Amino acid sequence: MKATAVLATRNLSKDYGPIRVVAEVSLDFHAGSIHALLGENGAGKSTLIKMIAGVLQPSDGTVEVDGVPVRFRSVKEGQAAGIVALPQELMLVPTLGAAENIFLGMRRPGLPGLLGRRRLTADAQEQLARLGQTFNVNTPVAELSAVQQTMVALARALAREARVLVLDEPTAALTDTETELLFSVLRGLRDRGTAIIYVSHRLEEVFALADTATVLRNGQHVWTKPMGQTRHDEVVASMIGRAPEQEFPPRATSDGEPVLRVTELSGWTLRGVSVQARSGRVLGVAGLAGAGRTELLRLIAGVERPQGGTVELDGIDITRSSVARSMAAGVVLVPEERRRQGLVMNASIATNIGLGSLKALSSGGVMQPHRERSLARRQAEELQIRATSVLQDVAELSGGNQQKVVLGKYLARTPRVLLLDEPTRGIDVGTKSEIYHLIRRLTADGVAVVVVSSEISELLGLADEVAVLHEGRLAGIVDAASTDQQTILHLCYGRLDA
Amino acid sequence: MTATTTAGPQRAPHRRSALPARLASYGTLLGLLVLIMLFTVLDEKGIFLTAGNFTNILEQVAVLAMVASVQTVVMVVGDFDLSVGALASLVGVLVAQLLTAGVPVVPAIAAGLAAGLLAGAINGFLVAYLGLSAFIATLAAMTSFTGLALLLSNGATIFGLPAGFVALGQGRLGPVPMPVIIALALAVMVWFVLSRTVLGRQWYAVGGNAEASRLSGVNTRAVRFSAFLVSGLGSALAGIILTARLASAHPTAGDPLMLSSIAAVFLGVTLSRVGQPTIGGTAVGLGIVGVLGNGLNLLQVNSYVQQVLTGLIIVLAVSLSQIVRRRR
Repeated sequence: MKATAVLATRNLSKDYGPIRVVAEVSLDFHAGSIHALLGENGAGKSTLIKMIAGVLQPSDGTVEVDGVPVRFRSVKEGQAAGIVALPQELMLVPTLGAAENIFLGMRRPGLPGLLGRRRLTADAQEQLARLGQTFNVNTPVAELSAVQQTMVALARALAREARVLVLDEPTAALTDTETELLFSVLRGLRDRGTAIIYVSHRLEEVFALADTATVLRNGQHVWTKPMGQTRHDEVVASMIGRAPEQEFPPRATSDGEPVLRVTELSGWTLRGVSVQARSGRVLGVAGLAGAGRTELLRLIAGVERPQGGTVELDGIDITRSSVARSMAAGVVLVPEERRRQGLVMNASIATNIGLGSLKALSSGGVMQPHRERSLARRQAEELQIRATSVLQDVAELSGGNQQKVVLGKYLARTPRVLLLDEPTRGIDVGTKSEIYHLIRRLTADGVAVVVVSSEISELLGLADEVAVLHEGRLAGIVDAASTDQQTILHLCYGRLDA
Repeated sequence: MTATTTAGPQRAPHRRSALPARLASYGTLLGLLVLIMLFTVLDEKGIFLTAGNFTNILEQVAVLAMVASVQTVVMVVGDFDLSVGALASLVGVLVAQLLTAGVPVVPAIAAGLAAGLLAGAINGFLVAYLGLSAFIATLAAMTSFTGLALLLSNGATIFGLPAGFVALGQGRLGPVPMPVIIALALAVMVWFVLSRTVLGRQWYAVGGNAEASRLSGVNTRAVRFSAFLVSGLGSALAGIILTARLASAHPTAGDPLMLSSIAAVFLGVTLSRVGQPTIGGTAVGLGIVGVLGNGLNLLQVNSYVQQVLTGLIIVLAVSLSQIVRRRR
């Protein structure tokens, strides 16, 4: 590819105070190519794409469009030049339909100030048709599926005649099938000449999708290669700057005792599911979005009320316990979305870790700050939380470290049954591996662990058994070591004959 | 604590010592000092900066301080209580009616406080258990409480309260007016609960992230409910002391307390780095409201003009601190 890059960076740098977050990065992005940006959290990917899109101003260096240096003072200027970034949170107006969202803020033909709904609808349908989508453009986007919402955001970018699309973790909220759909749309856009910059932590996706990969580490450009000329291990090693340790720790060696017994459990979508979790073992839970995976964990942990069935811990019925009682009994749920469900963002590490153990950290209802701080320090040490002190606000931590704070809060209750909902979502490779090893350290102490994950490969590597849910029912339980991705996928789709 | 093991750039560290950040935290406090200096200079009679006038200011804001203290609690939980002023009026009328009907002081006050608790329980139930927005629930409560106060008093002012009761509002302990002592005691209690107890921790946690708190085993409904209970009780106390101070009860006497209390808490929030209400912050907010009212009175500024100025200064203070904060 000797053609002039549609977008390029030349020695692009960004300083925050004395710290150089992005250091002299020079990259070329070509039309008709999907270019992946890889790196751990804090490697500078987000800062880089923010400078490209005009969200942040570079401290040094330039951005070039068609070989001409440009300076975007705002996102709007970037969009005018055809560079559109889709942030991780899609920034749609949930109460408006796809049509309004696509054209929000754009000048429309017709009388100024008037909506011209018929034309708006037709234009929106046309935009979505370019992506092969045909859903109702007047349905509020809050009622659309995650992938449809992504399509709306893509259509919005296309309506602004994007020549360069920047996608930051677009699959974080998508299931495997939805991801496939998104990928085929992205490939279509590429083939029609769009340059796509793709940021993701999921290496497998990147290998399946991208044409070129760039690895960043500590704000510096490590290398850029055609995707075909690199391999998974090489990418990981370059990202973390050393050879990766074994990604998944060894599996359980003993059969353990059944600690948690779930019998015929039913909720809103869950229909009569029976599983058990054994001490020292990891039970994986797979299924498509909406299959009831999260609900299963929430029903067990007392977050939601079951409509039928029982949950027994060591033979004692805990079916209708409150969250507090379940935690006291030793059943602990680490929720899926750390920002929304896991953390009080404007509070410190110590406050967040302490929130799950208030009773133990107080006497007669009065907090004992020294107990709280020493608990937090212990957890920070144990989980290797990288922070200046336990009094630092969690908002200032990286995603991986925030996840560790959430884990620290729940592990402080020394659970007997640990329920983990998507424990590695949006976390870099190094931290993922740390969490896998942590899980096995816990099982070595006899904890029974249940892990829900959308990444089947993660379940295959991490779990001992995998229970697969399909439309609220248990489609099967398979031995993780002797099965493959295909089998589990078939079960996810409810094909029991597989 | 684990040492930072990753070399190289993480996020930019928070620079607490940077001047703009300092200004953001203390801008409102500075504003209070500027106000005090301004009035000292403008006040040609030299009354403003005297111990006597200082006591006056405290006395003038004492009742408001009680309401603001409990409003702080409700706002910590992430809600607000619009019914505080109307409830104070209603309880004042109730207690005055009981007293004029011959009920002794202590049972009358107890009945007033119980009514406050009941009102708080109703608000708390509507918000925490029925899931109404605090705005709707307490707006409705405010309307009904005002109606009840008017019904109970026939819309008239109630006079003829016993001296033992009036002493609560007009008496002094040494040089310090009784309402100031009561307000201070309440504020200290609220401060202690907010900053030192499990309940306070839970109030802040629910205000910060209710869902995360619930999943951490916090009974978020009970926690929100309790905040409204405190608000009801504090507003009732304020209504009783207000009635004693005026030696009369009027069905709308407490109404202005609502907006002023919310303003005081909001002014205080600007002092917090993370945007949370605190008792210390509320105290500064009260200081601004109190000094402003007192100073403008001394300068004999028309009371209508005073209202306009108060609104402007609140907007100015809050927006200044927002601007400085954004520039960080």
